[in-house]
Amino acid sequence: MNRFDDELRLAFRREEPSPDFTDRVMARIAELQKQEKPREKTDWLRKLMEFFQPPQMKWAMAGAMVVALLIAGFGWRRSVENERRRLAEIAEGERAKEQVMLAMRIASAKLSVAQKKVYETASHEGESK
Amino acid sequence: MASEKRTDQLIERKEVGMQRADDTLSRAKDGDQTAFADLVREHQAMVFSLAHYFSRDRATAEDLAQEVFIHLYQNLGAIESPAHLKFWLRRVTSHRCIDHARKKHKMKTVSVDDAPEPVAPPCFQDSLMTATLRRIVATLPEKPRLVVTLRYQEDLDPTEIAELLEMPLNTVKSHLRRSLTILREKVTRILGEIKV
Repeated sequence: MNRFDDELRLAFRREEPSPDFTDRVMARIAELQKQEKPREKTDWLRKLMEFFQPPQMKWAMAGAMVVALLIAGFGWRRSVENERRRLAEIAEGERAKEQVMLAMRIASAKLSVAQKKVYETASHEGESK
Repeated sequence: MASEKRTDQLIERKEVGMQRADDTLSRAKDGDQTAFADLVREHQAMVFSLAHYFSRDRATAEDLAQEVFIHLYQNLGAIESPAHLKFWLRRVTSHRCIDHARKKHKMKTVSVDDAPEPVAPPCFQDSLMTATLRRIVATLPEKPRLVVTLRYQEDLDPTEIAELLEMPLNTVKSHLRRSLTILREKVTRILGEIKV
């Protein structure tokens, strides 16, 4: 430490404010409290904000947001897949229905041919008798 | 033997003081207005002096100090210990001072080298050197002024100042070095014969 440092320390020693300083601070606080009373209803909002203010809470919030985004993304992807599967099942059902209908039409045509032949044979036999 | 006893007494007194400060803080946090007033009384000289040496105006300094303590009252829940309280008050006061200077533009800051030399006679209650030093420091730009005030009023080392002002350590050291060089030069020029 040299003399110049000591001079600076002496020049910048602490000073007291006016004697009524503390009283004035306390008076202003009392005034603020009076004004703040009607605002007590919104106090829960301030408390909630304060709860999320510490840095640890900010990190926790960021983590929770990432997890929530992952869950939402995963859910959205699953719902898209389910919808695609449902549409595929409907299309498959439609195709099966069409095949059944085609089979029925073929069977019906074959039956009518057979029936026609049976009638023709029966009528030929009747004529020859 | 006697000196050991005195050291023990000093340590004991310091511990009692710390316990009392802890107790005052927790009572203030519980809403005890008297305890909060005690906290204000305990730290008002520190907060006021920082603001006063920065603004060079008692009324402005008292307004700034009041704002700092009201802000403290509103954020008392976040204060963890008496040491944290001191750190918090120094930091908030420093930031308030800089904000005030920027808003008001009352104090026209100039570069350290271009700072005008004080011409007004010193205040009668201060020594010539004290008054000259205060006036030269008042002409420094905001950040170097705060760094010098924190260094010599609060006796903080550059690491603590860097942490307080959220500034790189080398910047703090360079502000201090440059400011001290200028201060020495100007004081020598003004006071001539006085050995600095």
